[in-house]
Formats: sequence, C-alpha cells, structure tokens
Amino acid sequence: MILAVVDDPFPAGWIPPYNTLVVAAGVASVGFAAGVVGCFAVLRRRALAGDAAAHATLLGIGLAFLLGGGRRDLPLLLAGALATAIAALLGLVLIGRWTRTRDDAATAIVLGVSFGAGITLLSGITARGIPGSAGLGQFLLGHTAGLTAADATILGAVSLLAVGMVALFLKESTLVAFDPLFAAASGWPVMLIDYALVVLVAVMVVVGLPAAGAVLVTALVVIPPVTARQWTDSVGVMLPLAGMFGLVAALSGVAVSSAVPRMPTGPLVVIAASVLLTVSLLIAPRRGGLARWLEARRTVAAWADGRLLEVALRLDGDGPFTREQLLARAPGAAADSAFKRLVRSAALEPVVTRGGTHAWRLAVWGRELAAERSRRVAAWTEVLEAAREDARGHLTIDVPSPEAILGAARMKAIRELAAAERVAGGPRPGQPGQPGQPGGGAGG
Amino acid sequence: MTMSTTSAGLEFHDVTVAYGRRPVLWNVDLTVPGACLFGIIGPNGAGKSTLLKAALGLVPLAGGEVRILGAPLEQVRGRVGYVPQRESVDWDFPVTVTDVVLMGTYARLGWLRRPGPRERSLAAECLDRVDLADVADRQIGRLSGGQQQRVFLARALAQQADVYFLDEPMAGVDARSQERIFRVLAELRAEGRLVVIVHHDLRSAADWFDAVALIDMRLVATGPVEAVLTPENLRRTYAGRLDLLDEIGRAVAEGGRTP
Amino acid sequence: MIEADSTHLWMHFWAIATAATVSAGSALVGSFLVVRRLSLLGDAISHAVLPGIVLAVLAGGRPGGAGVFLGAVVAALVTVWLTNLLGTHAGLAEDASAGVAFTTLFAIGVVLVSALASRVDIDPECVLYGILELVPFDTVSILSLEVPRALLAAAAVLIVLVIGAVLCWKELVFTAFDPAAARAAGLPVGVVSAGLLVATSLATVASFEAVGAILVVAMLAVPAAAAELLFRRFHVMLVVAVGLGVAGSILGYLAAWRFNTNAAGMIAVVLGIEYVVAALVAPGDGIVARVVSRESLRWRVACEDRLASLWRAEEGDAAALAPRTLLDRLVQARLVFGGRINRGGSGGLTDIGREEARVIVRSHRLWEAWLGRHVALPLDHLHPPAEWIEHHLGAEVRGRIAADLEGHEGDPHGRDIPPEGFPPRAADEPAP
Repeated sequence: MILAVVDDPFPAGWIPPYNTLVVAAGVASVGFAAGVVGCFAVLRRRALAGDAAAHATLLGIGLAFLLGGGRRDLPLLLAGALATAIAALLGLVLIGRWTRTRDDAATAIVLGVSFGAGITLLSGITARGIPGSAGLGQFLLGHTAGLTAADATILGAVSLLAVGMVALFLKESTLVAFDPLFAAASGWPVMLIDYALVVLVAVMVVVGLPAAGAVLVTALVVIPPVTARQWTDSVGVMLPLAGMFGLVAALSGVAVSSAVPRMPTGPLVVIAASVLLTVSLLIAPRRGGLARWLEARRTVAAWADGRLLEVALRLDGDGPFTREQLLARAPGAAADSAFKRLVRSAALEPVVTRGGTHAWRLAVWGRELAAERSRRVAAWTEVLEAAREDARGHLTIDVPSPEAILGAARMKAIRELAAAERVAGGPRPGQPGQPGQPGGGAGG
Repeated sequence: MTMSTTSAGLEFHDVTVAYGRRPVLWNVDLTVPGACLFGIIGPNGAGKSTLLKAALGLVPLAGGEVRILGAPLEQVRGRVGYVPQRESVDWDFPVTVTDVVLMGTYARLGWLRRPGPRERSLAAECLDRVDLADVADRQIGRLSGGQQQRVFLARALAQQADVYFLDEPMAGVDARSQERIFRVLAELRAEGRLVVIVHHDLRSAADWFDAVALIDMRLVATGPVEAVLTPENLRRTYAGRLDLLDEIGRAVAEGGRTP
Repeated sequence: MIEADSTHLWMHFWAIATAATVSAGSALVGSFLVVRRLSLLGDAISHAVLPGIVLAVLAGGRPGGAGVFLGAVVAALVTVWLTNLLGTHAGLAEDASAGVAFTTLFAIGVVLVSALASRVDIDPECVLYGILELVPFDTVSILSLEVPRALLAAAAVLIVLVIGAVLCWKELVFTAFDPAAARAAGLPVGVVSAGLLVATSLATVASFEAVGAILVVAMLAVPAAAAELLFRRFHVMLVVAVGLGVAGSILGYLAAWRFNTNAAGMIAVVLGIEYVVAALVAPGDGIVARVVSRESLRWRVACEDRLASLWRAEEGDAAALAPRTLLDRLVQARLVFGGRINRGGSGGLTDIGREEARVIVRSHRLWEAWLGRHVALPLDHLHPPAEWIEHHLGAEVRGRIAADLEGHEGDPHGRDIPPEGFPPRAADEPAP
C-alpha cells in the first residue's frame, strides 16, 4: 500500500454531537452548491472540463503541503488544489488554441497527466516519510471522518458564497449559457462571464474534495443537475432542485460512510446521486420512463378507439352490426381492446336482433364521440392547409383537440385564413408559399 | 422611435475579415441607407454571415471599420437588434418562450437588475406582434421551426432597436411563416428602422428587399434589387467561385507566395 | 516504492518490460480512439471495467485470467449501453451521459473492492494507479524462467491487438476517417466499432495492474495525440505513438526509480512532457514552427517593403526615408550585404535589387487594378489591401491577373504597371 488511508482521529463510537452537526451542515452546503453550480456546467456542455480540473487538484494539494511546510491545513491544501485546477482548465484552453489536438483527446491528456503528476508528488512525499503526509491519500476518494468543525464551516461558507454569486448573476449566467452570440452582440462580456462560471465549477470541485475525492467529485457536480432536469423545464426551478438533490446525495454518502469507516466517501456519494437519478428517470412526470410509457399506451389506445369509432359510424348507417363485422374492417390487435373499451364506456350498446344473435350499434354517446373526432380531423385538415407549420409536432395519432393545443384565438385566425383562401381559389401564383414554387423554401 | 435620416444606417469601410490568418471577406466597402429592407445575398460560404457578425463585433476585423448610424458599434449598441441563426442555440435549454423574449430587455436593465412588470408587458406585446401569444409559457424545444424563428424575432423586437440584423431568418421555415416574418419586418421599415437581412434565396429576394448587396468573399454589386440581380452579376457570383481569391487566401494563411 | 537495490535488477527489468508492453498495446488502441474522437470512450472504459473485474475475481477468476477479461468486456458493453440510454432518455449530451455512466460504475467497483477487501485481492486505491513495482513478484514459470503473470497477460493482449489491427487494417482506417462513406461502401461499421470497444477493454484490463484505471487514460490518449501532432499519415502516426508510449514508460520507470516515487504517475508525467515537446517542435503547425514562420514573414515583408520604397523613389515619388528603427537598420544591412542595395554613395538599388523591387511594385499595382475592376472599392481604399497582398503574389497568379486585366492599362491611380522583368527567373527569387 503506497498511500495510507487516514486513521479516524476519534475512538470508535465517540463523536461529539455538535461536531457532527457542523460537519453535516458543511457537507450539505457543499452538496447543494455543487448541484446549483453544476447546472451551468451541464447546460454549457462543460462537464468533462470539470473532470480534468478535478483530477488536477491532487498536484496542487501536494504542492501546497510542501510549501506549507508539512502542515495539514485544509484551507491551504484546498487553495493549492484550486490553483492547479484552474491551471488545468487553462491547459485545456491552450491546447485548443495552439495545437490541432481535439477536445476529447485534450481532456484525456490534461486529466491523465495532471493526475499522474499528482500521484507522483504525493507518493514521493509519502515515500520520504514527511510527517503528516499520511493523510493526503484521503483526497483521492474522499473521507469526511477527519473533517473538523472549523474546516466544515469554511467549506460551507465558500459554498454559500458560490450559490449567492449564481443567484445574483442568474440572468447574466442564463443568457450567456443559452445564447452567447446574442449576448455578445448585446454588449455583454461573454468571455468574462463564461470564465467566471468555469472558475466557479473549479471552486466547487475543490470544495467537494473532502466529501467525494478528486476522482469522483465531478459526479457531484454533474449528476444532480441532470436529475433535476428530468423534473422541470425551467432554469429557475432546476437550480434549487439540483441543489436539493446534491445535498441529499452528499449527506447520504457521508452518513453511510461514517457508519462504515473503511469505506471512502466518494463512491457512496456518487451512488446516492445515481440512485436519485435512476429513480427520477423512471418516475418523473412527462420526461420519465414510466410517464412516457403510459403516454405511449394512452396514445395508441386513443388512436385505436378513434379508428374503431370511425368504422362503427360507417357501419351504423346500415343498422346493427356484429363484433366480427366491425373488427373485420379495423384489423389489428389494438382493435380488440379498443372494442372492449368502447363497450365499457357505453359508446357501443348491445342490440338483440331478430335472429337472436348478438349485435351492436352506436349509442348516443358513441355518436357524439365519433362526431367530435370527425370535427377534429376536419379542423386539423384546415390547419394543415392554411398553416402547416402549426400542425408540426402537435398533430398526433390520437387527434387531440386543436383548440386546446393551439389556443382558441389561433384556431380562429387559421379558420379565417383557410376560408379566405377558399374564396380566392387558393394562393395566388407567383407568391412565395404556393406549393411547388421554388422560392417558397422547404417546409420548416 | 425613428432615426435621423442624415446619417447612413450602416457603413462598411474596407472591411476585411480573416479567420486565423486566412481572409474570408475582402475589402468590403458598402453603404446602406436608413429605413429600408436590405438583403445580403450570395452563395453558401460566401461570407454573408461573417459580414453581419463583423458589423456586430462578433468577429474581429483584419482591416477597415464599420459604422452603424454614423458611429462605432460601442456607442450605439443599445440601438441595435440581432436575430442569430437558429442553429446557434440548444433548443433543449430549460427556458420558456417568454424567458427568451425577456432576454432582449437585459441589455437595457444592465447588471443585477431583474426584469420587472414593464419588461414583462413589453415581452407580451412583442409576442403578440409575432403571433406567439398562445405559446408564451411553452418550453422552447416544443416549438416548430417557424415558431422558434419568431421567438428570436420577438426577442429582437424587445430590444427596441433602430437597426436590426437578422441572420438567415427564413432558413428552414415554411412559406407561410416566412410571409408572417416578412410582414413584421415591413412594419419595422415603415416605422423608419433599418432592417439588414442575410438571406439564402435569390427568388424571394426580388419580392422582399428594397436593395441588396451581392457578396461572394467580396462585394460584387450593391444597389436596388433589379440593378443588382442581373444575369451578368449572378454569373460572376454563382457560376464558379473565384479560385483566385481562394488561392491568395491560402498563400496569405501560410505566409508564403502563390505559385 | 522502488528500491534502489541492484540485486533486484531483474525485478526492475520485468517491471519495465511489463510497462512497455502495456504502453505499446494502449498506444496502438489509443491511436484509433484519438483519430475517431473517441478518447472519451477510453476514459469511460478504463473506469467502468472495475466492477467487471471485481465481480469476475469474486466469481473465482484469477487476476489476469480469462474470466477477468470477459468481465471487463461485459462492463464496457454495459457502459456503452448506459451512455446511449442516458443520451436518448435523459436528453444528455454524449460526454455528460458517458461521465454519469462510468463514474457510477467505477463508484460501484470501489465500493465492492472496499467492502470485500478481504476476499478480493485488489487494493481500493491501487486500482487508481496500479502497483507496477509489485508486478514482478507474481510470476509464472515458463521454460524454467520466472515471468510476471501481468507481463504475459499484457503480451498476449498486445499480440491479439496487433493481429487484429493487421487483419482489419483497411476497414479500421477507412471507418476511422470517413464513417459515412465506409457505411455506404458496405463496410461493417458496427462490427468495427464493437471491435474497437473490445480492444479498448482488453488494453485497459491488461494495463490495470500495472498502472491502474486513471493512468490508462494517459497511456491511451497521450502518445497517440503527440504522434498525431508530428505526423499526418496514419500508419506512421501509429508506429510513432507506440514508440512514444514505450519510450515514455521506460523513461518514466527509470525516473521514478531515481526520484523514489510512484512509477505509474511518473510514466504519465513523462508522456505529458513528450506531448508538450511534440506540440512545440511539430513541423508546420508546432508552436515553434508557427512562431518562426510568423517572424520570417515579417522579415520578408520588411525587406520587400524597403526595396519597393526605393523603387518608388527612383520613379520620382517622395524619396525613401532613412532607416530609423532597429528593424529598418537590420533590413538595410541585410539588403546591402545581399547585394540588393549599393553599399556606399547613394545607397540606391543594384540591378538585382531593382528587379526584385519591380516584382513587388508590379504585384502591388496589379492587385490595385484587379480590385478596382472586380470589387466596388473607392480609389483611396485600394492602397492598403495592395500593401498587404503584394507580398503574396507569385508569377503564375500575376500572369492570370494581368490576363484578366487585358486591355486596361495602368493601375487605377494612373501609374504604369511595371512589366515582368527579364529573365523572369531572376525577378522571382524571393527577397532575402
């Protein structure tokens, strides 16, 4: 074993409650801030740059340790970590600007080499038996058992400061993350704001080192925002939600890790965050797997029902019909369950014929449903003719109500447009927009 | 807000733009009067977008200068509106239509101030003007191409500018939406503003623009549409690129001489 | 830690041999990854194989045995599957989804290793940086020689990789550079990608014991990226990458021995230094080359400008200014020394100097004329662009411009355009 894991300074079983609370609060702040700051890293697709910075922190810790004369002073060590983290990010920029090497290889290079340098330095320190060096290994995978209340307070303060910065400059950050071109044209110093965001990520990576270690801390910055994104479509909600997920992940990881002292904290934090992500991917409304599956089933069912109704309407004109006659005209497995649904909802009612055979006909309710469906189909046809792009993405096989999707005002405008066109006999030739006219541009 | 008609809306003096050392726009000298719909047209890769970005300070000039409303860009940024290309943005970003339109008000708000009721009502007006009031709270990924384009237009309207720059606003948009967008732009012209549009399609150019500039790495011709879109000019621009400029450009990039 | 003990020289030899073999295999695979922009995949797989390895060892496999390789390949496939899943369903960018997938798998691996440390002979932190120094102690007897098991495994993997590369060379190269065209040509692109995935897993597992998970990333990416900067032809780049990797591992191990520190880390550092050197000295677009090119251009421009101003003075324009700055004086001295300017007296052009100056002025005025004809520029805007372009026009292009201007005499300012000199060869010698 080349680097020793730090010994728990407290005898097993005795932990002063106050200390635990402060440490827990510090870790919670770190988790929260990591989630918040991480949102912009993820939205800006900068996740891996943070990873490279994280792996570079080891080198800084070793350097700070040496320069500090062998004191194991957390703020000093983290300051060193921040310096090399920012140097790594700078290295990425320089590689991009001065060489042909592409982003993915550049990240791998900075990550691997800086980590190697860090390992080299730390193992060199340990090999020379410099006192106090035994504890440095905990920064690899995280180990919060050694955190003092003072340390945790500092971590918590820095985290809250980071969150405050993001909250203060929320509109500027969102603007630059979303549309840097427009921001630059509007006169905003895009590079400055961008770099500030990246530096914040580096700060969070450093602050998260005790909790998660260099190798895994980016997970704390990346996974909670991804989790939050499953639940909301709004940046304003995504940020605090990501913070909450980060907080829960950090606390859970630390709690389990303190129950199992030999286990490094980092992996547990990551697993906690991933569990939250997995659950969210499944159960989140609208975007979650479960929601999507249910929605797909509902859509297919609605389509099958509508189709069967259509067929029933046509048959109904000639009197009652049998189930077999109906299904013959609407083949497919879905038709069977559609039939059952229509019967259950009393759209179809049974009729006893003279021959005693079981037949069906459309009930009043069924007639209304069929009529509504035809109306919607006709309305969508108008939309397709007069304002095709409005239909795009909104007209689905379950034929929803166009008024609900497009709004009553818009539907009214489309109707008027369609009517005017019918009167005029179609769009005038030579105008852009006539189908087949090359100047009109391909459809959106 | 109308603008003075004494100073030209947009002037390019001898503008050369290089990517790295390689020139992509050569010595463009162009004056656009105020209050019109001005089109910048030319083949793909001819530098039309680059010209626009040069005017907005988004790419550095290797030579020459640009003046907007008679002044350098820095002095008039508040009077300039911009509609970038649709592809420049990730439409999965978690913001709504209204959020995006409000971004047009940010420059006026400056640092730290949040949009308030005045900005919100302005945003609502702009959305109304482009017919997007119904989808104001929808996340932008759930819009069609034409709707996305109109969101960008609404954002530019919220900038309340005197000069508008639009980069291929009609690309990938179906004909009816194109007409709708054009109608809004014509309104802007009627209000006395200058609207400069990079456009990809020649035929509709004749219908829509008051004047155009034909660009193919250099300014080929400029003026009223009929005067510029002559067979001779079009042949010079579209039929066969000028290998000469390519070759010289390459030589410049490498620091040597052409053969 | 490496002991500086000469009685264990054999141990060092075996360790170095293992590191070199491992590097060679990784650089080989890494070349394909770098060229196909798949370095991320290397990063992902090197982390993600850990749970696969641990589970395989738990199930009774020996470290380095076939079961472990299988476990690693399975873990790699799971990673790719998860990455795709996250990409489609969570709407994540590829790098973020890969990041989520492999850090989670890696975390699971570490937890397994920590929890089962007694039953599994893998050290939690050594998975990160390997135990190259201890490799020589776990040996297998072959032909009465005690060979480290890790070396055998690495050698076996290297042989498999080389055979695979040689057999599928055409397909690999084609799909690397133009996947769309390859697919259209009927090449089994999917199979090739899968093969690359398996190859990366094999290389990773082979490296695991020597250098651990994270430094595998360095071995995969750095030699290949450095070679890419130096050579543009792929097969040359591949061989150079392997060479750089092997050299890096030898030098790194020796340096770690000398400085008494971790071998794997030192190897990564040496590889990084190789990369920086490559970036500096690469011909053409290396940093040094670019600086040299920029300065030599500036020098050439200064010399040619001086000649042209003297020529204009002869024509009757304002007399040429005396040299003022240091650059001016250096240029003057060089031109005198090179026989372009008369040494004493008037300091005017020699015949050779006049010919060269004529070429510059001809280029200048031709360009002005061309601009005047083809570009809508006002008269006073023609001089600055010509000042710039006059240095970049060669004889053939001048001929084409002249032909294009046939019938239009003189430049837009009304001055004569000097004809091409006689003999044309002399006029085209580049300025000193």
